[in-house]
Amino acid sequence: MRKTTRKFLAVTASVASIALLATACSSDSGDGDATPSKGTSESASANTEPVTLKVATFNEFGFADLYKEYMQLHPNVTIVDDKADTSDNARAAVTNSIASNTVVDDIVAADGDWMPELLASDAFFADLGSDSVKDRWPEWKTKMATTADGKLIGYGTDSGPEAICYRKDLFEKAGLPTDRDEVAKAIGDSWDSYFDLGKKFMDAKTGAAWFDSIGALSQGMVNQQEAPFEDPSTDEITATGDNSVIKPIYDKLTSDEVLAQSAHLGQWSPDWSAAFKKDQFATMLCPPWMTQIIAGNAPDQKNWDIAPVMPGGSSNWGGSYLLVPSGGKNVDAAKALADWLTDPAQAAKIFVKYGNFPSQTAATTDAQVTGKTDAYFGGAPSGKIFSDRFAAVSKQPYRGTHYFPINAALGDAYTRVDVNKTDDSASSWKKFVKAVDDLS
Amino acid sequence: MTSTGTPQLAGPTSDDERVRQQRRVGFSQRLGRWDVKVSPYLYISPFFILFIVVGLFPLLYTGYVSFHKWDLLTGKGDSVGFENFDWVLHSDMFWKSVRNTFSIFLLSSVPQVIIALVLAAILDANLRAKTFWRMGVLVPYVVAPVAVSLIFGQLFADQSGTINAILAKVGIDPILWHSHVLPSHIAIATMVNFRWTGYNTLIFLAAMQAIPRDLYEAALIDGAKRVRQFFSITIPMLRPTMIFIVVTSTIGGLQIFDEPRMFDQAGRGGADQQYLTVTNLIYQLGWTNRNFGRASAVAWILFLMILVISLINYLLSRRISSDETAGAKKRKKVRA
Repeated sequence: MRKTTRKFLAVTASVASIALLATACSSDSGDGDATPSKGTSESASANTEPVTLKVATFNEFGFADLYKEYMQLHPNVTIVDDKADTSDNARAAVTNSIASNTVVDDIVAADGDWMPELLASDAFFADLGSDSVKDRWPEWKTKMATTADGKLIGYGTDSGPEAICYRKDLFEKAGLPTDRDEVAKAIGDSWDSYFDLGKKFMDAKTGAAWFDSIGALSQGMVNQQEAPFEDPSTDEITATGDNSVIKPIYDKLTSDEVLAQSAHLGQWSPDWSAAFKKDQFATMLCPPWMTQIIAGNAPDQKNWDIAPVMPGGSSNWGGSYLLVPSGGKNVDAAKALADWLTDPAQAAKIFVKYGNFPSQTAATTDAQVTGKTDAYFGGAPSGKIFSDRFAAVSKQPYRGTHYFPINAALGDAYTRVDVNKTDDSASSWKKFVKAVDDLS
Repeated sequence: MTSTGTPQLAGPTSDDERVRQQRRVGFSQRLGRWDVKVSPYLYISPFFILFIVVGLFPLLYTGYVSFHKWDLLTGKGDSVGFENFDWVLHSDMFWKSVRNTFSIFLLSSVPQVIIALVLAAILDANLRAKTFWRMGVLVPYVVAPVAVSLIFGQLFADQSGTINAILAKVGIDPILWHSHVLPSHIAIATMVNFRWTGYNTLIFLAAMQAIPRDLYEAALIDGAKRVRQFFSITIPMLRPTMIFIVVTSTIGGLQIFDEPRMFDQAGRGGADQQYLTVTNLIYQLGWTNRNFGRASAVAWILFLMILVISLINYLLSRRISSDETAGAKKRKKVRA
C-alpha cells in the first residue's frame, strides 16, 4: 500500500511538472511575442514584403469593397476579415485579448462605449497620432480616443448625430403638421417643448404613443451632459450623489406625464422591432444608423420621415473607432491600413453605399454625402440633415472607467419602471443606487 | 610511474564491466517491474494531464483570484482575504441568482425526465418507421442554443409573441414573460426542455432496449397490462440510467447560461434580476463590471454548491443501489 502511494506520488509529480512546463511555455511565448514584433513591423513598412492583416469588426462597417481596393493598391497586403457575430462578443474579444496580453487581430474595431475601458489600458494599443490624421475629426470625436497625456489610440469611423424620426400618417391623424421643417419647428429645441407636443399628440387619441422607449430618450439626454456619471477630474462616481446630473433627467422621464406618452417598449426587444410596422409610436430619436434599423424592421411602412431637430441641443449617439494593438506583428502596415480606411474619401463612399454616417469633418461636407436622399423616408435629404446635425455637435459627455456598467444599470432602472412596471420611480432608483454602489 | 599506473587503470575497467553486467540485469528487471506498475498510470495520464491543465489549474487559480481585488483589464490588485466572499454572500443579487438557478433547474429537469421516460416508452414500442421517430426526437438537440433562443424569443415576446396572441384569442390576459419571476422561469425552462428532452429520451430508450424481453413475456402471461409492465418492470430496471440522467441534468441545470442570457436583448438576466442565474452573474461581475475577484468568489461558491448537491445525489444513488441488492437478497431468500 505504502509503495503504491509513493509511486503514485512520483507519477503525479512528473505529471505536474509536465503541466507546469506547458504553462510556462505558453506564458513565455506570450511575452516573447511583443519584443521581436517591432523588428518585423519596421521591415513591413518597406512596402514590398507580403503582409497579412486581420481586421476585427462587428455589425456592418461597410469595409468589404475597400478591402479589395486596398489589396489592389498594395499587392503585398492580404486583408482577412474577422467579423464577430454580435458587438457584445466583439467587446469580450477585445477585453480578453487585453487581459491575456495576446494580439489576435492587427486592427480592432471598437464601439465608442468601450473607449473609456480601452483608454484605461492604452499601453496595449499603438500611438496612432500622425500628421495625416491631424484635424481629420472634430475635437469631441478624437477626445474620446485620446489619453490624458495626448496619445491617440483610435481612428474614428462613423458617428451618430441625432435627429427625430416621425410618422407622417400618425401626425396627420393627430392634427399636427407633417412637413419635416414644420415638425422640427413644432418639436422645438427643448425637451419641454418635445413633451408638450407629445401631450397634444396623446390628447388626440390616435391609439399610438408619442415615443418608443424611455431608455432610448435617456440615452439621448445623457449624451447631452458634460459629465453624466463621473467626475472628469477624479473619475469618481457622481451619478448617485447629491449633485447627480442624471437624477433630474430620471425624475423627468419617470414622471407620470412622460410615462403616459411612452409605448413601454424595451429598446432592441422583439416587441420593439415588431412595433415599427404597426401604429405603436409616432416619434423616436434617430441617429443616421437608426434609419437603417427602421427601414429594416418595417420595409413596407412608407410613412416614416426625418425631422431636422434634436430637443435639448445637437448631440451624438454612437460611432466607432479602429485601434491597432501595439504588440501585433505588422503594426506599421496595420496603421497605414487603418489610416486609409478612415480617410474622408473612403468614409464618404461607405455612407453612400451603406449609410454609416462619417465622423470625418471633410467627409460630412463632401457633395456625395450632403447630396444623398433617402427614398424610404419620403425622399428626405438625409445627407444634408445629418451633416447639419453633425456640424452642431460640440461635445461628448465625459466617460470614465465606470461608464459601461453604470449605463447598463441605468437602462435596467428605466426598464423596471417603463417596460416591466415592477417598480415605481422611487424604488427603481433605489435599486439603481445599490447597483452603482456595488461597482466599487 | 607509468608501469604502476597501467594495471591500476585496467583493474577498475574489468570490475566496472562486472558491475555493469550485474546492473544491467538489475535495471532490466526493475524496468520490467516499472512497466507493470507504472505503465497503466502512463496510459491513463493523458486524461489527468489534460484535467490538471484545463480543470484543476483554472480551479485553483480561480480560488487565488477570489482572494484579491482583480480587474479584468488591469489585473491583480491587493489581497483582500475573504472580502469578496463576504460581499457575495451579503448581496441580494447573488441570492436572487441562486433562487433563479434552482427554480429553473427544477422546472426544467423534473418535467424533462418524466417526458423523456414516457417518450422513450412510446419509442420502445413497435412503431412503423422506428428510426425516423427516434432520430426525430434528437433534432432539437442539434439546433444551436442561440437559434433556439431566437425562436422562443418570438414565441414569448410580451406584446407581439405567438403564445400571448393565442392566449388573447382564448380570452386570457397576456402573460408578461419578461417582467415576472415565475413566467420567465417557465419560458426559459421550456427552452431547456426543448433542447434536452430528446437527448435524455435516447438514453432511456437505449437502456429500455437492454431490458430482457422474457421479463415482459412472463408478465404478459401473468396477466399484467401495459401500464403495470411499465411501472413494475421498465422503471425498476432503469434505475442506474435514471441516476446517470439525474446527475448529469443536475450539473447541467446548475450551470445554465445560454438560455437566460439570450432571453432578452440586454442579456443581464432581467432588469430586476428576474432570471439572472449564477453563471450569468459570474459573467456580469467579471465582464460587465470587470470585477474578477467577485466573479471568482461566485464561481467557487457555485463549485461548492455543485459539490454538495453531487454528494447528496451520490448518497441517494448508493441507497437506491443498496436497495436493489437488498431486494435481490430478499428474492433469493424467498426462492430458498
